[in-house]
Amino acid sequence: MEQSASEETLNHLTRLSQKPGVQSTLVLSRETGAIVRTSGLISNSSSANPNSTLPPSGDSTTTADGYTNGTPGGTQSAEDVARLVWTFVTAAGTMVEGLDGKDGEVKLLRVRTRKNELVIVPDSKFLLVVIHDTPPA
Amino acid sequence: MDASSSSMQARRDEILAKKAKLAELKRQRELRQKEFSVARQSIGDASELVSPVPSRADNRKELDSLISSLVGDSRPGSTGPASVSASPARRSRPTSVANVSQLSGESLGDVGTSASTSAVPVSPPAPQRLSVAPIITVIETPSDPKPAPEYVTYSKAVQTDDSWALPRDQGVGADEGEDDEWAPEYKSSRSSKRMSRRDREREEELRENIRREIEDELKALQQSGTDAIAANGTGTQTANFPARALTNEELNAVTSQRDFLDFVERSSKVIERALDNEYDILADYAFRAEREVDEDEDGYGWRGKGGRRVKEIAQFWDERWSKRRMITDLGFSPKFPELVLAAYTKSPIAPHDPPGLVQIWNMHMPSRPEYILHGSSDILCAKFSPFHPSIIVAGTYSGQVLLWDTRKNSHTPTQRTPLTGAGAGHGHSHPVYGIDIVGTQNANNIISCSTDGVVCGWSIDMLTQPAEYLELSVPAALSKIEDIAPTCIAFPTTDPTYFLAGTEEGTIYSCHRYDRAGAKAGVDAKVAYRGHAASVMSLDFHPARGAVDLGDLVISSSIDWSVKIWRVRPPAAAVTGLDSNPQTAGAGLTPGLSGTSGLGAASATAGGVNLGAGGVGPLLEITREDLVYDARWSPVRPGVFACVDGAGSLEVWDVNADVEVPVQKVQPSDDWKEKHPGASSRSAQPGSLSKCAWEPNEGKRIVTGGLDGVVSVFEVGGMLGGVEGVRVEEWAGVKKRVGAWERGLGGNAFANGR
Repeated sequence: MEQSASEETLNHLTRLSQKPGVQSTLVLSRETGAIVRTSGLISNSSSANPNSTLPPSGDSTTTADGYTNGTPGGTQSAEDVARLVWTFVTAAGTMVEGLDGKDGEVKLLRVRTRKNELVIVPDSKFLLVVIHDTPPA
Repeated sequence: MDASSSSMQARRDEILAKKAKLAELKRQRELRQKEFSVARQSIGDASELVSPVPSRADNRKELDSLISSLVGDSRPGSTGPASVSASPARRSRPTSVANVSQLSGESLGDVGTSASTSAVPVSPPAPQRLSVAPIITVIETPSDPKPAPEYVTYSKAVQTDDSWALPRDQGVGADEGEDDEWAPEYKSSRSSKRMSRRDREREEELRENIRREIEDELKALQQSGTDAIAANGTGTQTANFPARALTNEELNAVTSQRDFLDFVERSSKVIERALDNEYDILADYAFRAEREVDEDEDGYGWRGKGGRRVKEIAQFWDERWSKRRMITDLGFSPKFPELVLAAYTKSPIAPHDPPGLVQIWNMHMPSRPEYILHGSSDILCAKFSPFHPSIIVAGTYSGQVLLWDTRKNSHTPTQRTPLTGAGAGHGHSHPVYGIDIVGTQNANNIISCSTDGVVCGWSIDMLTQPAEYLELSVPAALSKIEDIAPTCIAFPTTDPTYFLAGTEEGTIYSCHRYDRAGAKAGVDAKVAYRGHAASVMSLDFHPARGAVDLGDLVISSSIDWSVKIWRVRPPAAAVTGLDSNPQTAGAGLTPGLSGTSGLGAASATAGGVNLGAGGVGPLLEITREDLVYDARWSPVRPGVFACVDGAGSLEVWDVNADVEVPVQKVQPSDDWKEKHPGASSRSAQPGSLSKCAWEPNEGKRIVTGGLDGVVSVFEVGGMLGGVEGVRVEEWAGVKKRVGAWERGLGGNAFANGR
């Protein structure tokens, strides 16, 4: 039961990465910024653990589709994205602590760029990043 | 003496001749000198150039010997004054005197073409010309002292260029300046000339070097600036950023952590909500005005105009869980209006999945349920607790009552009642089709009712044993058959001590939870609401929350293709004054009832031919074209109710407007199939709808669902829902109509009785 529950939870990530418009997902350790899970990003580091990319779900065709969801040529290396996001989250954390004192906590970050939107959910131990297309405005 | 005088004469002539020759030599020398000085007029002095000519040393010796031979023992001093007077300018430069005299000597030797010196003229002319030529080529400019200003402007230019490089630059400039400024003064003019040219080249070179240096420095500075920024911002992290990729073991450890799973559960929900929120908060209406108009004109999904429209606003279906399941119950959260509860039957194609399923959907997250709750058996009815926003209760086919607490973040129920077999008084052994939570905030109970007629009351804190246990049976006064098979129960809004139970055979019974004076707990022996010819599928008390108390109006639906509105009699026990006299109480003439109501009830009893013993007929009967599975009063509009039928239609009625045709009739769209291609294999015909529910606070939304497992949420217009537009007249109007129905009923009954 426990095993299936964890699988199910991880399926949420897979599903999330396959949602229309979602280019990539990242799960990082909040403490060190180490990559726990990614999808839709190509790792350029040879030392990266291939197991940290999401396992393909049952339907291989949709999975392949989900992986190449990003704009062609727009995929960035997972390490770069992870580093930049982690730095940004840390900076945001510093800001919030400065505003709200020690108990300040960042709950959600949405960064809209010209190209896409990053939704970042920081938590005490991990942080989840989803990069998705925004409606053309 | 003659001889001596002649010899003296001869000697005198010789001297004269020699003098003449000397004079001639002098003249020649002066000429040359003039020529020479003209030639080098501008030069000033460059005489040392000529000095070290080796050939001239020989010339000199020859010359000396010539002079001495000519002058004899006479000292050259005699000629000295002459030469001095001839070239006074030369005296100022002692070094050059010899040279000039050499030169003049040469020319002297050259001019004096005596036999003894005949050998001399051959060689001298060449050195002479050689010596002149270089002098001409090295034409000096009198600009020797001028370079200084050049350096000033130069260093200034550099200074203005880069203020921060100033100190260093100045140092360089000063060095240069020192060299260039001082060198010419100390060096001979000739060398300084050469120096200045070389300097100019070197200067250029230096300038170039400095420029390059400065550029380099600038670059370095910028580089270091960015480096510093990088070092401050990311440098330290870049250094140790991807500290290292996690190993497989670590990954497994991390991903199987409870923390991690919880995090994923939470954060993915947040992100789905963020992504599902289709409204673009950055929308610029200046650009999109036209599109907005177009969309409005489309009138997508809307039926009817203005306040009477009904629009589908959301559909929920999950590929993994909703497939091949039918909806058995629906409900809105009383606390969070965006949460919708849906209960499902088991799926025939997924035998390994838990049979029972409740999904809590979020209006803001259509792509996935907020919570998934499992049960060990088909869930037939489910309900949010009105008193605890996180508690959900459900009744199952196996007879269990399940309770989930969403705070526990677990699929499995936090509490469940024991399965059958424990014997009478321990719970249900038949499917539980009716469940409710009644009471007050601080004292409430779960009431469940199974098809064998067992009604249990449970404390929310303890489901191991029912707090109340009641076996319903039909009193002999009402029917010959004792068995009762309730398919649904309904509690009035104000009184938790009695309820109505709709049965499989179509009769609706009034039931008491507790013993009262003169009567046992259970089915009220004095009244039965007869009218439905088949199973009663739903019962709903009017949510009396308005100007007029309509709390005794009940709507029922049945698979006999009809919807009926009833007026129920308050339980006799509530009338304390008549407790002592059961007969009077049994007549149903209670002060609480209006005259017409009493007449209706009495006449129904009187005309018991078709209604049976204690039978009460409906106030209003609305015949439909299909099985009616559910009918619900609007929580805010007194005359509005919604019903769903086997044809897959949702109908919204307003008894104030019409009791013959619905105000609005819509069917859930097929849009969900497009979003879920996996579901398209299902039959194209609209599945029947089995349940509907109103959002209890605003009354603007209706949720429906049925055979295909799709939950559809509709929004109704201002005339049919919403608390703002409710007028008092609506309540009065419903009251008036109820009165008219009763009069009509009474009139008929009266006529029947005659």
